[in-house]
Amino acid sequence: MSARTTPINVKVVAAESLYKRDVFRQPDPFAVITVDGSQTKTTKTAKKTLNPYWNESFNFTALEDSILVIQVFDQKKFKKKDQGFLGVVNVRIGDVIDLSLSNSEETITRDLKKSNENLAVSGKIIVVISHSRSAAGSSATNASTSSRNNTGSNGSSAGAPISTANGESAGSGSANRQYSSFEDQYGRLPPGWERRTDNFGRTYYVDHNSRTTTWQRPTLEQTESERGQQRQSTTEAERRQHRGRTLPGETPQSPDITNASSTVTSGNVTVNATGANTPVSPAAAVSMAATGATTSGLGELPSGWEQRFTNEGRPYFVDHNTRTTTWVDPRRQQYIRTFGPNTTIQQQPVSQLGPLPSGWEMRLTNTARVYFVDHNTKTTTWDDPRLPSSLDQNVPQYKRDFRRKVIYFRSQPALRILPGQCHIKVRRDHIFEDSYQEIMRQTPEDLKKRLMIKFDGEEGLDYGGVSREFFFLLSHDMFNPFYCLFEYSSHDNYTLQINPNSAINPEHLNYFKFIGRVVGLGVFHRRFLDAFFVGALYKMMLHKKVILQDMEGVDAEFYRSLKWILDNDITDVLDLTFSAEDERFGEIVEVDLKPGGRDIEVTEENKHEYVEFISEWKISKRVEEQFKAFIDGFNELIPQELVNVFDERELELLIGGLAEIDVEDWKKHTDYRGYQESDQVIQWFWKCIKEWDSEQKARLLQFTTGTSRIPVNGFKDLQGSDGPRRFTIEKAGEPNQLPKSHTCFNRVDLPPYNDYESLKQKLTLAVEETVGFGQE
Amino acid sequence: MSLKRINKELADLGRDPPSSCSAGPVGDDLYHWQASIMGPPDSPYAGGVFFLSIHFPTDYPFKPPKIAFTTKIYHPNINGNGNICLDILKDQWSPALTISKVLLSICSLLTDANPDDPLVPEIAHIYKQDRAKYEATAKEWTKKYAV
Repeated sequence: MSARTTPINVKVVAAESLYKRDVFRQPDPFAVITVDGSQTKTTKTAKKTLNPYWNESFNFTALEDSILVIQVFDQKKFKKKDQGFLGVVNVRIGDVIDLSLSNSEETITRDLKKSNENLAVSGKIIVVISHSRSAAGSSATNASTSSRNNTGSNGSSAGAPISTANGESAGSGSANRQYSSFEDQYGRLPPGWERRTDNFGRTYYVDHNSRTTTWQRPTLEQTESERGQQRQSTTEAERRQHRGRTLPGETPQSPDITNASSTVTSGNVTVNATGANTPVSPAAAVSMAATGATTSGLGELPSGWEQRFTNEGRPYFVDHNTRTTTWVDPRRQQYIRTFGPNTTIQQQPVSQLGPLPSGWEMRLTNTARVYFVDHNTKTTTWDDPRLPSSLDQNVPQYKRDFRRKVIYFRSQPALRILPGQCHIKVRRDHIFEDSYQEIMRQTPEDLKKRLMIKFDGEEGLDYGGVSREFFFLLSHDMFNPFYCLFEYSSHDNYTLQINPNSAINPEHLNYFKFIGRVVGLGVFHRRFLDAFFVGALYKMMLHKKVILQDMEGVDAEFYRSLKWILDNDITDVLDLTFSAEDERFGEIVEVDLKPGGRDIEVTEENKHEYVEFISEWKISKRVEEQFKAFIDGFNELIPQELVNVFDERELELLIGGLAEIDVEDWKKHTDYRGYQESDQVIQWFWKCIKEWDSEQKARLLQFTTGTSRIPVNGFKDLQGSDGPRRFTIEKAGEPNQLPKSHTCFNRVDLPPYNDYESLKQKLTLAVEETVGFGQE
Repeated sequence: MSLKRINKELADLGRDPPSSCSAGPVGDDLYHWQASIMGPPDSPYAGGVFFLSIHFPTDYPFKPPKIAFTTKIYHPNINGNGNICLDILKDQWSPALTISKVLLSICSLLTDANPDDPLVPEIAHIYKQDRAKYEATAKEWTKKYAV
């Protein structure tokens, strides 16, 4: 800059009567101040107002002829080209102040003008321009680093620099430095990256280039394309894991498409349904095979079948081959794999199980277990009379239960796919926005029709693969903490919970409703989400009361302190009242846990009540609004009384599916305390695990770690509440006791059992009987 | 809960200040304190005054305060950023602990380092292998940064 420039100060005071571009919401305006197109500063964002008040000062250097440009934008729409624009003013500095004087100050009010795009604009902006020869330089850098990107982060710029007393720190150099959010002690972050700290004080990194977050610090050495590749390969691994997920009694969601198509080429296919060899048209066969035999909706009926309607207009199906009728469309059958005595796999369509034998009825116990009543003999049984008895032999009781519950759940009329199609077309790289528009504009009834997902610009009909990809991608995007709707719990680094500060997005409740719908949509159409919640959220979805134990999965440190309160005499130790403090973007708000709570002391006598109340507040009350929107969306597709059939662990599996678990990898990354890998008990332990099926393995993981999720890179990346924590088996307890678990530490306490049978029996019992997360 | 408790601790510190430590809010923000610790006489840190920053979480005392040295110090359990590896600031925290008790624990950490659970393995290694060299370096740093 030439020697004749003069330091000036521009104070952007306020704007008034901005143009209201949206009917339902007000903008979040911020101003961008530019001098001669080369010096740029940004104000903070004002929230939801047409009359923003910023009152922020910025220093520039200017000439008489310098042009000051102030543009106002809506922060929420800033990313969309031209949409967020709310007006501009252009001012020639020499027209306002006289730089030849030693100092001057002028306040100006100007009308906001349109830009070239000609979007409607209204209102005025108030600016104070001043200069003073003496006060040159020095304070120029203050507000400049806070860019609009920062507004979403809470507490990232943790307050003012530490005042380092009497200058003793002169020599301590970099140790005391406060870093901006774009650097740390290892230097600058790559362009477009930002460092943030979450509610639990953990550092994470935001990549504004790809709108993703990660726990790993990016390095400058890595090029953007290398990072892109790394991201892609992680996504690919996650995708593989996601595709392999199943539910008991259902075939994997990714059967070999190639198999299906090769059979198609051979013409007519016969699906071996026990009892009736029903020829199926190729089209229907493809869709059944490709979707894991779920829905087809269209296509011909198998030969010998006919669709009829009752007087009420409800469709039903007549099978002339067997002279039976059924409500279930034979093109939408679900297959059970039966491992017969000679180990051949037989596919058996569930609906082909057909109606129960005459005089039989399916019922639920009050614990939501399916059982069968035989009115002929006035007896009840857990065994489904339609299933061959070989299926149920040697299978632990609980396994049959979950499978039965799934069958019962699926067979309910409310979960039947409605006639017609539900078209959803999205762009891959705008999946969140597009899905939101597409899914929210349709009625819940529309969403219950056969799902036809299409990615913009991609060929491919949705026989299952496309919708699977859709739910995979969407679950990654909508739960991305970048959007501040969900956050990772402090228990491990990957289970999700509702972000109590989500109101930073004024439309958050609509988004929670949307997400609830998507979760319901996945369950309804039998697609899995690649997302796992904290145990407490599943309980809330079942309208169960959250308790102290649920806190362990939400915030382990908090949990330990509450537990300490219960275990110790708190008289004269703690000064608590029935209130909580909530931090909302730096402001601390006191909340009563019961009427007048802030004046009620917590004593040794009422401390149990306090612990109950504060757990409830911290887990559910604080996000009540958000949760209500979420569950409303969910219940539009899945009626509450039907989902109540499941317990919270089963619900996790219903939403996320069961992953195939690599026992070798698990074993390789397990630590022992008090045991050695070579010990007999440990060998029995792994023998038992290997004999178990996916569901039992998943249940053991839920029991020990609080979630059935496995890190995408395997067990070596397992996280505990305080960082990486490998799966651990500790020698603890007596042989007559059940194993216990500590989900904070991914640890199971395994007593030294005397023989394999008792280990297996005790471990099975512990895993299946303990419902509720967090077994301390 | 936190504000009331922090105020109480502040009052207690005024009434009954612990020996060789002091602590109090930096400005108007009661959640941000500064503390100082005198190097214990029987340690290589003797004669030094060490400053620490204290940030109370909103959930205090249900969660531990975040404490870090702002004066550079040579110690196996304190790293270059001033972070302290001390169990009571992590999983052994209990709501009954106070800033005063924590500062006293830090004092005793200065006297008795815990090289088996080091934050800086290099310093821990020297501490175990060549105690004299460790003490000399610690003294030198104390002189340079804390006097």
